[in-house]
Amino acid sequence: MEEAILGVRDLSKSFGNHEVLRKIDMEVFPKEIICIVGSSGSGKSTLLRCINRLERQTSGQVLFHGQEVRDVQSEINEYRSKVGMVFQSFNLFDHLTVLDNCMLCTRKVLHLAKDEAFGRAIEHLKQVGMAPFIHAKPSQLSGGQKQRVAIARALCMNPEVLLFDEPTSALDPEMVGEVLTVMRQLASTGLTMVVVTHEMAFARDVSTRTIFMDRGFVVEDAPPQELFQHPKSPRTREFLSRYLEG
Amino acid sequence: MAMAFDFLTITNPQSSLEWMVFLTQKYFSMFVEGTLLTLYISIIGTFLGFALGYVIGVIQDLQVSKVDLLPKRVLVGICKLVASAYVELFRDTPMIVQAMIIYYGIRQVGVDITPVAAGILVTVLNTGAYMAETVRGGIGSIDLGQREGAWAMGMSPLATMLYVVLPQAFRNILPEMANTFLTNLKMTSVLNVIAVQELFMAAKTVGGNYYKYFESYLVIAVIYFVLCFLFNKVFLLVEKWIRGTDDYALAIEYLESE
Repeated sequence: MEEAILGVRDLSKSFGNHEVLRKIDMEVFPKEIICIVGSSGSGKSTLLRCINRLERQTSGQVLFHGQEVRDVQSEINEYRSKVGMVFQSFNLFDHLTVLDNCMLCTRKVLHLAKDEAFGRAIEHLKQVGMAPFIHAKPSQLSGGQKQRVAIARALCMNPEVLLFDEPTSALDPEMVGEVLTVMRQLASTGLTMVVVTHEMAFARDVSTRTIFMDRGFVVEDAPPQELFQHPKSPRTREFLSRYLEG
Repeated sequence: MAMAFDFLTITNPQSSLEWMVFLTQKYFSMFVEGTLLTLYISIIGTFLGFALGYVIGVIQDLQVSKVDLLPKRVLVGICKLVASAYVELFRDTPMIVQAMIIYYGIRQVGVDITPVAAGILVTVLNTGAYMAETVRGGIGSIDLGQREGAWAMGMSPLATMLYVVLPQAFRNILPEMANTFLTNLKMTSVLNVIAVQELFMAAKTVGGNYYKYFESYLVIAVIYFVLCFLFNKVFLLVEKWIRGTDDYALAIEYLESE
């Protein structure tokens, strides 16, 4: 069996007395497209943020290629440079142009030469169809365009795995389509992806594995055909019926 | 220089306006030197004060987490304590008192500091304390998502501060920085108490020679006003320039026909 890129061991997270994640175990293997679904407050975004170390887990471990990502800032930085993240609210740098957004971290974190960073930026901006907008500022773009730039920015780091935290939740329906198209196309390139989403059709059609979370637990973890057609747990059935009816 | 105004020469001033012209002509170089010194102290003092304010503001914003080692946490704690003590001390005492204490205090311990150097030092320390609060507020005004965007790509917290947070905070606090400079330009007048020969001191001296205090101070009021007015306009232009245009050019070389 191939080695997992990411591992989550016995991970719990509480905010005060509120337990958000309860003893989560999961692994992400190369080329997997994992969709994490569940109702709001089920802990799926927190799980993703714990994986990226934006939240610190209360207990348990995050593993990268079998090695624990320890509580050392330099190790965390290095790990994050290999694990990309796309946010619900895009988090593009507001003061920089599209091009500079895509070049800042390749220059300052990976220390690439200027022309190499530029080449990467253009390559990935073309991939998401945003290359003509290199001189624009984020405030001049639509939500869908911003998210596509954010995806290109993350790709410029050549991440081994890309985490998506509800990438389409802040977008209107028309823009959801353009972002999902880009994500489908990315999935077809063999990029490893972990996607927290409410887009059930995307999870069903694109993911290689779908995880259903509820109240901080992983309730079900199965290939999408299985999870969507023959959900084992009643909670999963209830959740899916609300999304898939009609 | 004075030659150009010869046709205006007044030898026997009567009205206040005539006195103002008379005093300006007679003590032209004194007013010019006072103006230059006022500008010199306020410009140097403000810019060094800004630098100090940025450093202190960033220190006040430092966050330690369980990720950090104990020595670092202790060090950061001490820095923050010193920074907030400094900010409180200088914001809670009048600048005129600070000037006296610093000037005479330093001389008392045997260092022969000039009034101008002491004046700049007071301005720097005073500006730094106010600026630190402004910077802290400016940093706080930047959405946490901006930092997370950078952290998530492996950027260190310090680099994130330098490349992502401060450039944006800078824009937000630019009007306040302009304000601080104008305040300093006027506040240098209190430095006359430690014998700095700035504008206020010039007016005091000139006024004393003819017992024409009203006219003499009116002259420097005009000078202060004109200076502040002009700088204000300059700052507005700078702000506009930094904000940039609302337009952007499509990079047509990358337009695809798909």
